[in-house]
Amino acid sequence: MGEVAAQIPTSFGHELRACLRCRLVKTYDQFRDSGCENCPFFKIEEDPERIVDVTTPNFNGTISMMDPRRSWAARWLRIGKFAPGCYALAVSETLSEDMQSLCQEERVQYIPPKRI
Amino acid sequence: MPRHRGEEDDVDEDYDGMELEEEEEEDEGRSRGGGSRQKRGRSSFFDDYAEEDSEEEEDDDDDEDYGSRRGKGGGGGGGAKRKKSSAAMFVDDIADQVDDDDEEGEDEDGEDGFIVDTGTDLPDERVDRRRYHDRGFDENDEDVDDLERRIQERFSRPQEDYDEEATDVEQQALLPSVRDPKLWMVKCAIGREREVAVCLMQKYIDRGSDLQIRSVVALDHLKNYIYVEADKEAHVKEAIKGMRNIYANQKILLVPIREMTDVLSVESKAIDLSRDTWVRMKIGTYKGDLAKVVDVDNVRQRVTVKLIPRIDLQALASKLDGREVAKKKAFVPPPRFMNIDEARELHIRVERRRDPMTGDYFENIGGMLFKDGFMYKTVSLKSIIAQNVTPTFDELEKFNKPSENGESGDFGGLSTLFANRKKGHFMKGDAVIVIKGDLKNLKGWVEKVDEDNVLIRSGLKGLPDPLAVNEKELCKYFEPGNHVKVVSGTHEGATGMVVKVDQHVLILLSDTTKEHVRVFADHVVESSEVTTGVTKIGQYELHDLVLLDNLTFGVTIRLENEAFQVLKGNPDRPEVALVKLREIKCKLDRKISVQDRYKNVISVSDDVRIVEGPSKGKQGPVRHIYKGVLFIYDRHHLEHAGFICAKCTSCVVVGGSRSGANRNGGDSLSRFSNFKAPAPVPPSPRRFQRGGMGYNARGRGRGGRGGRDDSLLGTTVKIRLGPFKGYRGPVVEVKGDTVRVELEMKIVTVDRNAISDNVAVTTPSRDTSRYSMGSETPMHPSRTPLHPYMTPMRDAGATPIHDGMRTPMRDRAWNPYTPMSPPRDNWEEGNPGSWGTSPNYQPGSPPSRAYEAPTPGSGWASTPGGSYSDAGTPRDSGSAYVNAPSPYLPSTPGQPMTPSSASYLPGTPGGQPMTPGTGLDVMSPVIGGDAEAWFMPDILVEIHKAGEDSDVGVIRDVSDGTCKVSLGSSGEGDTIMALPGELEIVPPRKNDRVKIVGGQYRGSIGKLIGIDGSDGIVKIEDNLDVKILDLAILAKFVQP
Repeated sequence: MGEVAAQIPTSFGHELRACLRCRLVKTYDQFRDSGCENCPFFKIEEDPERIVDVTTPNFNGTISMMDPRRSWAARWLRIGKFAPGCYALAVSETLSEDMQSLCQEERVQYIPPKRI
Repeated sequence: MPRHRGEEDDVDEDYDGMELEEEEEEDEGRSRGGGSRQKRGRSSFFDDYAEEDSEEEEDDDDDEDYGSRRGKGGGGGGGAKRKKSSAAMFVDDIADQVDDDDEEGEDEDGEDGFIVDTGTDLPDERVDRRRYHDRGFDENDEDVDDLERRIQERFSRPQEDYDEEATDVEQQALLPSVRDPKLWMVKCAIGREREVAVCLMQKYIDRGSDLQIRSVVALDHLKNYIYVEADKEAHVKEAIKGMRNIYANQKILLVPIREMTDVLSVESKAIDLSRDTWVRMKIGTYKGDLAKVVDVDNVRQRVTVKLIPRIDLQALASKLDGREVAKKKAFVPPPRFMNIDEARELHIRVERRRDPMTGDYFENIGGMLFKDGFMYKTVSLKSIIAQNVTPTFDELEKFNKPSENGESGDFGGLSTLFANRKKGHFMKGDAVIVIKGDLKNLKGWVEKVDEDNVLIRSGLKGLPDPLAVNEKELCKYFEPGNHVKVVSGTHEGATGMVVKVDQHVLILLSDTTKEHVRVFADHVVESSEVTTGVTKIGQYELHDLVLLDNLTFGVTIRLENEAFQVLKGNPDRPEVALVKLREIKCKLDRKISVQDRYKNVISVSDDVRIVEGPSKGKQGPVRHIYKGVLFIYDRHHLEHAGFICAKCTSCVVVGGSRSGANRNGGDSLSRFSNFKAPAPVPPSPRRFQRGGMGYNARGRGRGGRGGRDDSLLGTTVKIRLGPFKGYRGPVVEVKGDTVRVELEMKIVTVDRNAISDNVAVTTPSRDTSRYSMGSETPMHPSRTPLHPYMTPMRDAGATPIHDGMRTPMRDRAWNPYTPMSPPRDNWEEGNPGSWGTSPNYQPGSPPSRAYEAPTPGSGWASTPGGSYSDAGTPRDSGSAYVNAPSPYLPSTPGQPMTPSSASYLPGTPGGQPMTPGTGLDVMSPVIGGDAEAWFMPDILVEIHKAGEDSDVGVIRDVSDGTCKVSLGSSGEGDTIMALPGELEIVPPRKNDRVKIVGGQYRGSIGKLIGIDGSDGIVKIEDNLDVKILDLAILAKFVQP
């Protein structure tokens, strides 16, 4: 694999947050310091306040994706194109409209989490 | 691991797949040089697992892949038909995987093809195999990636065009196939699931592609396990080797392919909490309590709710004073609004503070915040339940209390209630009313529902029609007089008529309980349905007397969801409790009698009047008696389903006539007088005794009920329910709601030697005592009118049994006696009451053949059970004969069948003359009468001509009592004429084709598929019905 993996969470507790778009899971600090590897356009590292907007601690289940290109799980979860790393199986919040339009501007897909 | 990336070599691939799969063909494989290698790989894996290297693992695990490869190989017949459409491959793969047996066959085919095609490739096999593996992955990836790419291309770009529906379909395409990596379940330390997953990720990054696993899943809701996605178990083992939180040597479980998606399908708990949402507390003192969201802090995942405090002020005071509080864990204080003044009285320090954010004032007691009596609590989002919270009426009422000032009846804000509405709440045609905004109180009908907006037609001039109204501003509208059904909430399932409409609250008159029920209009739909409602939960029914604990008992007066409302047995004041099903100890249905104020005996169903206490003046029949407490049912009492609880000493029995005389000596007499039956003759001693004692003991003297019960005595009943369903038998005892029934003996087949005559000695006495003839007889007719239902019952019960289970013989036995009630005594004494015992003689007895043969059920068919019930009803002891073996029978087993029985039959009083066409007819063949009964063409018979050897033949024609018989087992011989008396049916054997020569299927042809004693199991050819028929009416059929 020649792929650069995303940062791996340095802790496993409540500091973990998941990116609302790509569901990448990292600690708050990691997001603050280096943003989201899959969604650089959020420019979290430039505006740490955005962390609250584009990430959530409210997610369910994690998956450590070693080999997203060849993983069925990645395909199923639609994270096959993202960097290897830890992801949430499901996030419980939706990107705000602002952020959604940002995604649109960036021409990246955003699939809001499915509601029950 | 070295990977040989080779160009496509389909043939080799096929070859490999097949060969590796077929262990039996190891020799063959070895001869080609590949098998041995494979074998080594295998054994090393099994024997020396520690030394395995990834290559070997792969060898081993490749087996799993072969399902797919091989499938293709086989399908291609060894040819290089690699390029199927990927979809087709998927299908093939799955089919192959499932169907192992087929694969074997296919393999062979494939192999044949292969040998022809690719023998020359053998030397390269090893390389090819590696190649194959590698390429296998690549291809896999290619497929996957390709698929993914296509899908992504198709759906991702023009986002606007596809909404979630589209992605659902798309998701289907992503379902795992056998070619995908698998999920393996690995046990890990509890609470370390996420950590393990992250550590494995780190390990992967550190070790690079050494680790062959693809992903690791840690679910929040699944403790103790993680899932690892990998192609092979060995990869998983390799990856988890040395992990701290994974126990070594744990079993690794493969997740079945169809469950793979379940693993990943985690619902995003999209908590849509907003202010005023109703929630329930999940844990702690307030567990299950209703609370209302006041504030949500999404960032910190905390929510502030207000709820009714459960605070023991005394305990709180002690605690705040620093005194030791006796901890009673089990005690949860009831919810009660905080009364600050009360708290102050207890010298609890109450601080009044202003919340800086909202500006509201809160009373702070020991760190807890209160306002308007409510407690304001900030808790974690995880500690509340926010989904499907539907507050009950009571809860809302309670919640509403303090803020009653002003807007009464608005139960804590309509909007919050509506928040729980499901989609599709309104339907076209619903009558609705606007409850908010400018158009408040506008009525209309739903025209169309469009997401949140409902188009309503108001019919008012000057208003646009239809009018779009937000769903939340609408409420279903009902008018008094509407008949509705409750579709949700505590009263779900109830139906009733709307008697009052108070905004969105309806008051219904329930069809079931005749009580007023308050429901939300939202929970109701208009319906003409009238449910009798559920009146039973578990073993308890409405209006049962139940024991709650050793001291408390009560009558169930209403059913709710899995709970009863119980009117407790408290005579001082009506006390109603909601009791869960499991809290009920047992049902009390003892029949007790007590004494009233004047020492008169009260028993259940007696009318009593309450002469003192809170319910003084009420009157009604007693429904239950327990511990000196009466439950009286007064129709005019509207509360508690009409039940009133009173002490027995506060009541007097009304209608004195019932109490006195009846209960004493005149018991039986008065009872019988109710029958309109002359009672000069006492019932049989035993019965008298039983009946009389029963009455005295139970103090039940009322003629109507008692008499009725009693009349059941001796009658044959059929049990309709329970484990004895279908059994019949005479009632031997009646006690309250239960009767004791002596079940009829089962008709069984026993060897003749296995029976003894002893029974006969004992039974007659039993018989007589129970059905002592003379004395009872006069009563019987009187019963019939009382129990008109007996006849149909008996019919239903008896007839089928006769048709099906018994031999025709019995019916024949019956019929002659059918109309002869008058001479019955005679008959019972002199004649076999014993016909009924036929089980004993019927099947095994040797002579039966002679008689069975001519038993062509014509007799019984023509007099189907009707005659039986005729006979039975008036006499009531029908079962007696059936039941009681008589002295006669066992000792003379075959007697009725021999011709000599004819001589005795006519002797039976009333027998023969009265039943001309029935019983005797069927006997006649033996006696030498009409032959029509069983002689039919195309059956195999044995011919016994005087002075000649017996011979077999086939009846060809029957005319005037003579038969044209073609000799020979298939009728190929000479044709002779024979008299019926000279012929005998050749009994068919199993699997013979048979012709049914008697009974309602007479003439039908079928196949004898089994023999059970004297019964044959016949599959009738016309309709393929399987019938159990007496062997006697089956004759071997010979195709003409």
